[in-house]
Amino acid sequence: MIKLENIHKYYDSQHVLKGIDLNIHEGEVVSILGPSGSGKSTLLRCINFLEQPTSGTVELDSKKVNAESAGKSEVLALRTATGMVFQQYNLFKNLTVLQNVMVGLTSVKQLKKEQAKETSLEILEKVGLSNRLDHYPAQLSGGQQQRVGIARAMALNPKVLLFDEPTSSLDPELVDGVLATIKSVAEEGKTMLIVTHELQFAREISDRVVFMEDGLIVEEGMPDQMFNYAKMERTNQFLKRSKRSEE
Amino acid sequence: MENLLDISFIIESFPTILSRLPITIGIAVGSMVISLFIGLATALIKIYKVPVLSVITSIYVSFIRGTPLLVQIYLVFYGIPKVIYYLQIEYGVLLSADVNSISPEMYALMAFSINLGAYLSETIRSAIESVDRGQFEAAKAIGMSPVQMMTKIIFPQALTVAIPNLGNMFISTIKDTSLVFIIGVVDVMGQAKILGSRGLAFFEVYIAVSIVYWILCIVVERLLVRLEKRARRYERGIA
Repeated sequence: MIKLENIHKYYDSQHVLKGIDLNIHEGEVVSILGPSGSGKSTLLRCINFLEQPTSGTVELDSKKVNAESAGKSEVLALRTATGMVFQQYNLFKNLTVLQNVMVGLTSVKQLKKEQAKETSLEILEKVGLSNRLDHYPAQLSGGQQQRVGIARAMALNPKVLLFDEPTSSLDPELVDGVLATIKSVAEEGKTMLIVTHELQFAREISDRVVFMEDGLIVEEGMPDQMFNYAKMERTNQFLKRSKRSEE
Repeated sequence: MENLLDISFIIESFPTILSRLPITIGIAVGSMVISLFIGLATALIKIYKVPVLSVITSIYVSFIRGTPLLVQIYLVFYGIPKVIYYLQIEYGVLLSADVNSISPEMYALMAFSINLGAYLSETIRSAIESVDRGQFEAAKAIGMSPVQMMTKIIFPQALTVAIPNLGNMFISTIKDTSLVFIIGVVDVMGQAKILGSRGLAFFEVYIAVSIVYWILCIVVERLLVRLEKRARRYERGIA
């Protein structure tokens, strides 16, 4: 369903992504692991053109967008077909919880208010925040904010959800709640691409794990296979070291 | 015995001075509203680095900041009718505009809008740039158009940041309107001057008029505090 072909990204002279090919099927949950600075987040942000890839193509639902010639409407189509959850939540600070989830429906999809509200209430119920509708983001804990972030990303019913280190800025005791929410969304059969440092979580939730380093995909495979018998020495090293630190 | 002050003259002059308060407030509020649009437009031109226009904007802001308001008022008052007249004669445009029917109040409004617009330009630009980058990204990620992003997410947050600055500028503007008497607008200051020369009691009328400005500014300050509190309501955390 999503097909990335030969994605390159340069920041000035720095070569951050060095030709990434990645296929994601409908309903698949794929985790991207790798050390800091390996280009995981950049790759994710290239899919919805928050970062414009320097070259390569992004194909979603058999609509192919070439990075070098992408027009406004093509980029917009990619953005409405993907939902993104940010590391820093990035909830709209001037809007309440309900408005955060509704705003995409009323402004981007131009739904009627009642209809948008109904959909939003349903989604907020799922992430367990029906009792915080009129709160502003500043009045919520990090975990609650991130669950609103997930609800906002889901509201437009995107083809795929992109998670950019969704638990990295949370207090340790709030991580589990957010992971549980992500898991429940995965169980509904949503296609998801998750950049994360939570290895155990990645192992449990993913259909496939992708290991990146230095702007390249080093190895990919089923989670158990990757965690137990990774082919590449570097993958083993990374997963082992991280496992040790989790214990 | 020689009196320092003719207190009763001060008191008697209040009603006449206050009758001109709508002129003062009208010019201040009107130019504030118009200059918000000028400031916003020029700020966006700067932020998006629009070619040609951003150079013009820079020159405009630099000129306004580098010349006295008094001079700018004269430039507008004497310059605009000449320019309109010239355009009518040479190019046959703006024929419906009757130069003689433009009131001094209108010139004052124009001069203050142009002046304040340049100052607001910088304030608004820095306020927009102070909004967290993540807010822009989140808006883009859900597919908002630039206009939707600006009107629904960025401007409301930028405005909150800018309110204290905008408030200070508004208060300065209220006081600066005392200059408009020089082009024949009878505002509270103008009325005070008229009264003063009529009764040869300048000290008294200037005391009266300063009290009027002072109270007006106190009231406006109070209102601004309330406005800021209201605008910042979403920033209050659980604490």
